[in-house]
Amino acid sequence: MSDPGAVGGSVTYQRLVHKNSSGFHYMKVSLVFEKEGKRIDGAFFKQLIISALRNVYGEIGAAFPFDVLKFEEKSLTAVLRVYNSGLVKLWSALTLLGSYQNETCAVRVVQVLLPYQYTGGP
Amino acid sequence: MAAFADLCISGTNDKKRLQSIIETAAHLGYSTVAINHLVEVQPKKQEIGKPKCVSELFDHFPIVQGRSRPIRVLNRLTLVVSDTSHFRQTADFKFYDIIAIYPKTEKVFHAACMSCDVDIICIAATEKQPFHFKRPPVFGAIERGVFFEISYAAAIKDSTMRRYTISNAISLMETCKGKNVIVSSGAEKPLELRGPYDIANLGLLFGLSEGDAKAAVSANCRAALLHGETRKTALGIIRTVKKSQPADEREDKEAPPSKKAKLDAM
Repeated sequence: MSDPGAVGGSVTYQRLVHKNSSGFHYMKVSLVFEKEGKRIDGAFFKQLIISALRNVYGEIGAAFPFDVLKFEEKSLTAVLRVYNSGLVKLWSALTLLGSYQNETCAVRVVQVLLPYQYTGGP
Repeated sequence: MAAFADLCISGTNDKKRLQSIIETAAHLGYSTVAINHLVEVQPKKQEIGKPKCVSELFDHFPIVQGRSRPIRVLNRLTLVVSDTSHFRQTADFKFYDIIAIYPKTEKVFHAACMSCDVDIICIAATEKQPFHFKRPPVFGAIERGVFFEISYAAAIKDSTMRRYTISNAISLMETCKGKNVIVSSGAEKPLELRGPYDIANLGLLFGLSEGDAKAAVSANCRAALLHGETRKTALGIIRTVKKSQPADEREDKEAPPSKKAKLDAM
């Protein structure tokens, strides 16, 4: 970000248009279960997302790449990375996820970030 | 930017559950929620009854995340109507902030769009819409400022319901082109609620454009609320008309000067 220059007491602002050139979006999500204290690991979490995607979009619709960059087992929060073209699909599949293996759960999307806003760590 | 609102939270007698739903809604960033009271209208029994006072629910309403203001809780009445003659405006309406109608047949849908004094028309989420959305009633409703509501809780619970919800929504969008649509939860449990931005994204699946999808959880909800408010407040209209001007002034303004000059020359 460049500093807004102050000219003669009046502040001029600059409009910055950032084209998302890297092609990625980052999502910070947290998983909530009805019963508290459930422990799952990263692999299980990815499996859960893939099954959610398959439920909503089927085999072909769900076959787009995304990554689980980080997963914190304690708080069940994760950072996902997805191509721009897959963002709407991934997000809506997460929204429509209501249960997994007969247990009620929900995915809360905490943040959706562009690459330059992502500085690592959930 | 208008604040986010969820205009349909299933009302239950379980006070604790209702509290936890409202707390979750505040945490997700909704500034306004409405507790729904579902009433099946029968021809003989016309009792609707008063809603419970919302101030009994909390001593202090939970603070909306990111707004540092307490959440606003309203009462909403949904009438399930299967025959046009069953719908009658009663005195009980004034206890509710919003009146919604869930039409079971095409005839009722037509009447709800064109003449009934309601704010919201519900679209079926748990079954296939039994009739086709025709253009004249839908446009009539848009003209009158009545909103169409899609609720998404059923879509989260079950995959068959999801198909019904999405297909009904898409067939509505074919007709109304994304205008006057609101999306609300209809949640019975806190885990059935989703954040406002999630819903704006979900709106894209329903065939809304990005702007319309966001309006469906914010601006349109506010408009529906104001529509409900006018039922209680706006009792008459005063119209003022300017009196006609004196004769000598009128002559001067008969034709602009440039045209007059042209006539003289001819």
